[in-house]
Amino acid sequence: MMKKYALDKLVICNNCHTVHQKIPLHQGGKALCSRCDAVIYRQDDTIIEKTLAITLTAFISLLIAFQSTILTININGLEQSLTLTSLFVVILENEQYLIAVMLVFLIVIFPLMILLSLLTILTLMKLKKSGYLVKRLLILLAYILPWSMVDIFFISILVAMVKLFDYAKIELGIAFGAFILTLILDIFITKNISFYELWNQHDTIYGETHVKEK
Amino acid sequence: MIRYMEKHMSKRNKLLLCPICEAVNIDTGKEILCRRCHSKIYKPKRIAYHKTLAFLITAMILYIPANLYPILINKQFGVQSESTILGGIMHLWESGSYPVALIILVASVFVPLLKFLFITYLLISTKYNVNSSRVDKHKLFHITEAIGSWSMVDVFVVAILSVLIHFSGIQIYPGVGATAFALMVFFTMLSALSFDTRLIKKEE
Repeated sequence: MMKKYALDKLVICNNCHTVHQKIPLHQGGKALCSRCDAVIYRQDDTIIEKTLAITLTAFISLLIAFQSTILTININGLEQSLTLTSLFVVILENEQYLIAVMLVFLIVIFPLMILLSLLTILTLMKLKKSGYLVKRLLILLAYILPWSMVDIFFISILVAMVKLFDYAKIELGIAFGAFILTLILDIFITKNISFYELWNQHDTIYGETHVKEK
Repeated sequence: MIRYMEKHMSKRNKLLLCPICEAVNIDTGKEILCRRCHSKIYKPKRIAYHKTLAFLITAMILYIPANLYPILINKQFGVQSESTILGGIMHLWESGSYPVALIILVASVFVPLLKFLFITYLLISTKYNVNSSRVDKHKLFHITEAIGSWSMVDVFVVAILSVLIHFSGIQIYPGVGATAFALMVFFTMLSALSFDTRLIKKEE
């Protein structure tokens, strides 16, 4: 057990892999890497509650973004609107199956999975229940986190709008606002809580779980 | 405990970061399970190296059709015209939307090339122990991971346009290039994600 304890006093910067010794912080403080100035960890007692609230809002606004109209264009009276369903219908009509599959995963499934598992993790942490499930979800989260591309999708919408600007009248839908809201909240989530802190919270709430010993 | 810590502080590069849960682990050189999340950290170095290389080469091969084949097919009253990525950028530039042309140029031409360069450099420098700082390599890897998804912009734009421009007279379809491009981005991301940061430490 001594060994584990000693290792827990150390922390490695995720950006440049420099080893540091952990220091206690006051409430609201953050620890920066001595070599590259990246934030390594923060101290915040209300972090679970805060992040839970933001994640829930982000989840709801993402659902709205998926269901309503993103934008409508009008070319000389001919109207065409973009929703997520119409996106998939048209791509499948054009028989671009591979792109359709990639879009489904990158824009719909992974972002929803990320937000849902974050919601579950934070709720369970708040209730201090089922540590095993939390652990599995945290591992899952690490695998799917790089594969969410809602932000890139939003930038693509903007680029498409610029391309159509000369030919068509563009009306923005509800989902457009919902996308912006989701992205802003997403920035807050990633800024607020990092993997390191989620695992730290996991350790403090569910106690020592480092059981595998050789 | 303190003696133990000192012993390991002196060999700082024996410590490694679990890529899944970011816990600090001791590198024994053998296969280890992370002490917190129990995921396997150690893959034999040669396998890790070749996996990254394989994904990288696949991505590089796909980069060729992605640029040569049309990413977008425009059908106007039966007349079909096609445009590749570079063609689309030129068109945007000529029509005066410079910022957007630059965004697409960076996102779909430079970012993949940069990723190829970075990963190749990381692989070569870790294999032949090129003298450069270990920290720089870690940072380079971090950048490579971060810019990964940006290249998807062009594929998404084509998908969105094919929905919006879908009238009886004028239609836009995604072309073969779009599929190749999407696959290319997918494989560069796999290549970056499969890169084992422990290869960087090997040299010391």
